[in-house]
Amino acid sequence: MWYYKIHRNLNKKVKPIIWTRYHSIVADRQWQSVVGLEVHAQLNTESKLFSGAENTFGGLVNNCVSLFDAAIPGTLPVLNRKCVELGVKTALALSCRVNEVSTFDRKHYFYADLPAGYQITQQRAPLASDGVINFQVFTPGVHKKPYKKSSKIKQIQLEQDSGKSLHDDELKRSLVDLNRAGVPLIELVFEPDLEDGEEAAALVKELILIVQRLEACTGRMEEGALRVDANVSLRRIGQPLSTRTEIKNIGSIRGVAGAIRHEIDRQRSILESGGTILNETRSWDATNKVTVAMRDKEVVQDYRYMPEPNLPPLRVNLKTKNDTQDVISVPLIQDQIPELPEDTRKRLVQEFQLRPEAAIQLVNEPILLEYFLEISANKERNPTKVANLLLNDLLTALNQNKVNIDHCPVTSKQLIELSDLLLQKKINLDMCRQILDELVHNADEDISPSRLLKEKGWSMITDEAELTKLCIEVLENNPKLVKQYKEGKKKVYRALLGIVVKSSENKIDMAAVSKIMDDLLKK
Amino acid sequence: MKFKFAFITFCKVKYIQILSRNIGGKVPTTPVNTLEKYQNKKVVVDKNTLNLLERLSLVKCDTTKGTKVLEDSIAFADKILHINTDNVEPLYSVLEEENLHLRTDKVTQGNCQKDILKNASITEDDYFVAPPGNIPLQDIKAEEICELTK
Amino acid sequence: MNKLTTYTIKELHKIYRDKLLTPTSFVDLCLQKVKQTSELNAFVTVTEDEAENHGVESEKRFYIDKKSRMLDGITFGIKDNFCTSNITTTCASEMLKNFVPTYDATVYARLRAAGACLIGKCNLDEFAMGAGTVDSIFGPTRNPWGYDKSNDDWRISGGSSGGSAVAVSSGACVAAIGSDTGGSTRNPAALCGIVGLKPTYGLVSRYGLIPLVNSMDVPGILTRTVEDAATILNCIAGPDFLDSTTIKKEFDPVSITDDFDMTKIKIGIPKEYYCEGMSQEVIDTWRYVADLLENQKAVLKSVSLPHTSVSIAVYSILNQCEVASNMARYDGLEYGFRAEENYSTEELYASTRSQGFNDVVRCRIFAGNYFLLSRNYDKYFVKAQKLRRLISNDFKNIFNGDDHVNILLTPTTLSDAPLYKDFMSKHNRDQCAFQDYCTQPANMAGIPAISIPIRLSKNNLPLSVQLMGPFLSEEILLNVAKRIENIVKFPAVAL
Repeated sequence: MWYYKIHRNLNKKVKPIIWTRYHSIVADRQWQSVVGLEVHAQLNTESKLFSGAENTFGGLVNNCVSLFDAAIPGTLPVLNRKCVELGVKTALALSCRVNEVSTFDRKHYFYADLPAGYQITQQRAPLASDGVINFQVFTPGVHKKPYKKSSKIKQIQLEQDSGKSLHDDELKRSLVDLNRAGVPLIELVFEPDLEDGEEAAALVKELILIVQRLEACTGRMEEGALRVDANVSLRRIGQPLSTRTEIKNIGSIRGVAGAIRHEIDRQRSILESGGTILNETRSWDATNKVTVAMRDKEVVQDYRYMPEPNLPPLRVNLKTKNDTQDVISVPLIQDQIPELPEDTRKRLVQEFQLRPEAAIQLVNEPILLEYFLEISANKERNPTKVANLLLNDLLTALNQNKVNIDHCPVTSKQLIELSDLLLQKKINLDMCRQILDELVHNADEDISPSRLLKEKGWSMITDEAELTKLCIEVLENNPKLVKQYKEGKKKVYRALLGIVVKSSENKIDMAAVSKIMDDLLKK
Repeated sequence: MKFKFAFITFCKVKYIQILSRNIGGKVPTTPVNTLEKYQNKKVVVDKNTLNLLERLSLVKCDTTKGTKVLEDSIAFADKILHINTDNVEPLYSVLEEENLHLRTDKVTQGNCQKDILKNASITEDDYFVAPPGNIPLQDIKAEEICELTK
Repeated sequence: MNKLTTYTIKELHKIYRDKLLTPTSFVDLCLQKVKQTSELNAFVTVTEDEAENHGVESEKRFYIDKKSRMLDGITFGIKDNFCTSNITTTCASEMLKNFVPTYDATVYARLRAAGACLIGKCNLDEFAMGAGTVDSIFGPTRNPWGYDKSNDDWRISGGSSGGSAVAVSSGACVAAIGSDTGGSTRNPAALCGIVGLKPTYGLVSRYGLIPLVNSMDVPGILTRTVEDAATILNCIAGPDFLDSTTIKKEFDPVSITDDFDMTKIKIGIPKEYYCEGMSQEVIDTWRYVADLLENQKAVLKSVSLPHTSVSIAVYSILNQCEVASNMARYDGLEYGFRAEENYSTEELYASTRSQGFNDVVRCRIFAGNYFLLSRNYDKYFVKAQKLRRLISNDFKNIFNGDDHVNILLTPTTLSDAPLYKDFMSKHNRDQCAFQDYCTQPANMAGIPAISIPIRLSKNNLPLSVQLMGPFLSEEILLNVAKRIENIVKFPAVAL
């Protein structure tokens, strides 16, 4: 009896312990990562946001600076029309609601590269709000197949960029260049809808494609034209959002994926060992592939937002196509929006029957897409084969010759000729690859692939009789392999083909030879 | 009868009008009470807020004298907080009905490096020169102590 | 007798045409006057060379080209918070003591384009923060009225555009430009016995005016006669693409006529403008002008602007917030005073700003940042903006509707010019609060206002009244002011 009581009491105490432990072990595996992005994109305009100084990358130190950009007393801001147009265009492309009236605010903080002691931005009433970006997530090697994802956009606002400071640790000083001060930026604030670095990278890639198509921004992250800050936190499933850290200083799309992945791992290991996450700002160190805490941002900050008194409200015309100097017609801008990446992908799949992966990869590389559309304009050319030629073979040739896709020396004319040769079976894939290599290497747009063919003396054996003769020869010379094949070892078939290829110096079309070989072996 | 009545009324009205005119017109004779309400509560600003303000203002005003002036300013402002402003929109600019002027996107300014640098006390190779990063003020004291204890 | 104070623009041009005086000789006379009255300390910088060159150019146009411009040979002073290229612009502060702008304020450029000759940059309260022109690193400006070299009982000139007012009042200039944020042009005009015009907000460009409160600042005009004020206004008013807060509509120049029809004018007397501490003489002057206008057949009525008394407190909040923001740029890196600190940016900024700014400026920055803190923003800043709308609506209501009036008549200051030592016994904020009572609401609502000298007090000091009107009603204001001026015949100061 007492044994039973003790047992029962023990159970009462031990069971909860076991249960909680089990629960927490399970719960640890239930940390859900939450990622929200903030993107700053430099607008592609001639002059700056509020001054007439030149908006350019590089340039004599402190020369593309107007008196207003240097915060000389008594100077006033005047808004650049093109910035509003591009801002509205981007907002419309991202299905945002453009606000009829928006206002500007001052965000105050002291920093050497912020001469006025405040940045003019749109915090209270931004240019646009409540949009969404739809994109496909597909990283070859990480994902088996692409999947759709979307992220909501909280707001899009116009704001000034700051100058640049070069830190000289040795002489303990900073050198300040204000060329970048006042350059127009749009800030896109996304909701924390994403789960990991790959999704974030895909979002950024899609965004870059969109702004490039709109000609709103060059999208060159390496030049700082597009900058991404990532907010990362972990929470238990079903719980509200937890403390987040902000990661800055990410300089590339792969960097986005890497930084977020690292940060999620870092936070998970802290939480799993019972620690807490600090609400802080961290910097991505791309060389060592870690995030480090930023000292400057440790202090409590209050930006004391105040309406910018020197700029009356900005009004846009949401209803009609009537466009005046001071009031932009939004419907007119809507008409100017070109085909967006998602629509192109759809078109590639529907019109050209490409696989989704191919469509994604082509759209991701605008130069390849351009080639593809030109070559496939002639409906007789097989789109899938053309896509493969571009995505596999051209890229390989460029990589091997260490040439960047942006500087691809091969012209579309050459590619058209080459693909015709391939599709008409005048050359095989191997020959094609070799020609591509030559074209890339020589970088001469006048070289014709057909001429190369002639020069190198590469020509295909197309005569069926000759091919049959070749096959028969190979079969006669390799009775052992034939015997193995007839006994059931189908893998030997490849070896036989391989010998044919070798003996013909690879001047054959594999498909044709395969067929002949098949027929012969059946006998 | 009626005519007499009207005439007398007319004279009376005119008389009153003349009378009121002669009593210095419409200029008021007594001061009007102010809408402000003097708060009896003493305004005190806590140390944390003072530190924060000093860091945000960078004017070295967190002295006893500065604090007193701040508290007076707050008390001065507190006098009108009680006034009802329900359903009243804030007035940020008297030109709120005007449309913001939009400038054509052309390079019209800049290219005046000399003018930009002209009034700077210190420049180096056409750059402005600033001391290193943003080291919070209290950290300076902490670092000094660190140096001393070494 | 001070002959210089009798010249008006029209008269001068006639004198030039008749060759009784030439522009260069007149410029010399003005420069001499400046020297003679140097104790008044109206000028921070006297631009002798520029004045002479400008005079020569005007002379050439008069006599050789025979085509003169609107303000050729007219001497003027400009408050030292307007940027003038290659001429130091100090804002009477250590911070900008050696600041030489590389561009011209639009107002200055327009005056120069019309041929006006710059005598010098005028003294002011540091960064225009004050109502006496006593807070300047160059010392206070003295009121020529009642000025006696032999004793120390001199009167303040009013502020913050005291230097500009004294320049005109003493005869050193025909006209001067000041700035008006809470009454800074009208206040010194009243205390120095001259005409002070505050145009509608947005009528005159602020490009180049170093700001105090961006949403209320306007360039102000100081002259000895109403007609001259109108001429200057016609020169400088109009849209400016460099200033997004100018009204885009083309400016219709105002014209002053001696036979202006007063029967069509309805004048409101707001009862709230009689406040505690207002001197009896000021009230009597107010009454005197009301009677005068009624005798001219204008219709007068009593009106109410219920929120007048809160204007000063609202102004204190908004002023300090904007100051905190506008002064954030003074860090010594790109221009201005720079302290010797090298340790960190924060330390450099703090030292530069505490050494470069006087107490008034620093305290306003400190308080302004308090009101702008996120936790206080709604409580103070937004509240103040809502009250600002109520004040503005008060004016809108009486200027519109069935029972509306065309203009308002009020005092300008609460008393005649105080003695310097009495004025200094009060703290800056209290001084402003007291003196700005009648002038501040016009800035709050952005409406135009003009101060006109009426008569002398028993201390032999000027007493003035103020007229206010709705947006862009300068023509009515100036014409009514002219009628008053014709009748009262206010004397010039004897220097």
